[in-house]
Amino acid sequence: MLRRIASALIAIFAVASTLARAQTYTPSPVPRTTNVPELHAQAVSRQIRERFTIGLGAEARGDWPQAIAEFERIVAFAPPEPQGSTARYDLSIAYANVGRNDDAAAQLRAAIALDPGFLAAMANLIAIDARRGDLTEARAVAARFTALAPESARALYSQGIVALQAGDASAAQAAFSHLIVRNPSYAVAHYDLGLAEVRLGSLADAEREFGTALSLAPTYARARLALGTVLLHEGRRAEARAAFDRAASDANGDSTLRNVALAMRDAIAAR
Amino acid sequence: MHRALLAGLLTAALLGARVAMANASAFDLTGASALVPSSMPDLLEPITYTGRTGWDCVAERAAADNGWRGAGLPDRR
Repeated sequence: MLRRIASALIAIFAVASTLARAQTYTPSPVPRTTNVPELHAQAVSRQIRERFTIGLGAEARGDWPQAIAEFERIVAFAPPEPQGSTARYDLSIAYANVGRNDDAAAQLRAAIALDPGFLAAMANLIAIDARRGDLTEARAVAARFTALAPESARALYSQGIVALQAGDASAAQAAFSHLIVRNPSYAVAHYDLGLAEVRLGSLADAEREFGTALSLAPTYARARLALGTVLLHEGRRAEARAAFDRAASDANGDSTLRNVALAMRDAIAAR
Repeated sequence: MHRALLAGLLTAALLGARVAMANASAFDLTGASALVPSSMPDLLEPITYTGRTGWDCVAERAAADNGWRGAGLPDRR
């Protein structure tokens, strides 16, 4: 009996010792050196880390000039990865927020060159290129983004929007159709797919997509306006007029959309 | 006299434009100013010192997300 108790205690002690060893924290040694280049490298590394903290804090409170100053200093150090591409990415956000979109795009190109799989940098470069009106680069980056992340919702959406802006309705149709497969309840994607269908002359498909968008979001004024436009083109004037009327009443705060809807409605009434 | 003539011409032009808009057969859908694409999404968030491969990089996760909400895409506007 005593033997059994002793064996059990030994076994428990062995397990406890193993667990304790596994949880023991072994601190990594603090790098100590008197070598001047190494000391300099350590100082630069520390400065980069601290400037990241200050720069991100500045971005969080919208102090873009301070953020630009911090991240420009980091970039000047040409830090290794991932800090090199990350500093350029963060610098681009600060540039974009003060309207320096060309500089922002240049930093994002540099970030992607350092880290070719940097999806967030590609996403932001497409958005900034759209602001700059550089649809050629936006579409090239969007193609690369979707090749790397074929199911990414942002990649497909961005690709579709820049295709619509560039007048390539077929590419927009493909992108939004793919996006809808995984996001069937995303009303905006149905609206933009409807626009692509209008441009391709497929009015029945456009009407269906605008209708789906409205069934998902009944007060979606822009989709209602688009539906009215298709109905008008099909000669369904009473339905079109009702759609424009409803679009005008749903256009909360969007005076341009409201005015267009009212003008369309009144134009039908005047005839 | 000239003012009255100008006003009359302007009114006639406006009425003509309104009738043309209401005429479905003459309505150019592909060029309609009403049909504008949705907006581009907002820029993704800044990234910390640890980089995009850090364990909790919000921006990189959003860029790769398959769902529109996780990706930070615009809601209907």
